[in-house]
Amino acid sequence: MENYFVLVLAGLTSLAAGALEWRRHRHPAPALRAAAGRALEAVGLAALFFLANVGTGALLTVAARALDVGFISIYLSTDVTLLVLSLLQALVFQGWREARRVP
Amino acid sequence: MRSATRLLGLATVAGFFALAFTPLPNRLHRAFASPARLGPADAIVVLGAGATDDYLSERSLRRAVHGMRLFQRGLAPVLVLHGPPEGSAAPEAATRAALASDLGLPAGAIVLAGGLTTREEARQSWSALSQAGRTRILLVTGSHHMWRARAMFERQGFTVSPAPVEEVAAEGGRPELRLAIARSVLQEGMARLVYRLAGVV
Repeated sequence: MENYFVLVLAGLTSLAAGALEWRRHRHPAPALRAAAGRALEAVGLAALFFLANVGTGALLTVAARALDVGFISIYLSTDVTLLVLSLLQALVFQGWREARRVP
Repeated sequence: MRSATRLLGLATVAGFFALAFTPLPNRLHRAFASPARLGPADAIVVLGAGATDDYLSERSLRRAVHGMRLFQRGLAPVLVLHGPPEGSAAPEAATRAALASDLGLPAGAIVLAGGLTTREEARQSWSALSQAGRTRILLVTGSHHMWRARAMFERQGFTVSPAPVEEVAAEGGRPELRLAIARSVLQEGMARLVYRLAGVV
């Protein structure tokens, strides 16, 4: 049960939010599909930013050691904060891209 | 471009669910972890894992306590405690030594050493131990880190018996615990890649 408890929580609140939205709009399914697509795009961008951030961190670690210009721990590049920062980068980048499409 | 990003997003979401809600991280753990091979040695070497002021990180504390327990079992007459200074604060090694002293370990059996990287720790251990002929060691570090650490210490000239510490709940049954295992495996995978790129292992 403890394995899936958080899934149950997220499922229940999603169902509640979905029911509210269904009441307010008669045919929200196309909009839901579009929103899911945009969310996947944001997650994909976040993954790209995360890989780029971690890769850059690894390169800086190797370069600092090779050039003997100080010490950067490799563990700094896998700090969990980087996940949140990558998501923020992705959301801003996605919003910026969409804003440019609007005439 | 957009569909490729969406596909990557879908793969990321699928990966997240696989890591958080299936036993995949537990299997990854078993692939990365080194088994223990405990036996009598010339010294027990405990690698550093970070401290702030006199506050040892959880990993540092786990490793130090494991080393002290092995010492109390009489597996070696010397305990080497590693740990670099953090800014102007007391070195991690000194904080660990104070803990060892409080727990009743003899001060004369404890050797303090620094080292920012595993390679530096291997060098410092070698200069502290090899002159006295202490080259058979029990190496204490995280079970994921052991493979890399053992390679460094053997390259330095030591005969290494692994005494790994579990730094994550290996059989984590909750999503958060599984993600912690996945993160530890990612960190170690990154470090192994960096060491390979740098030609260290």
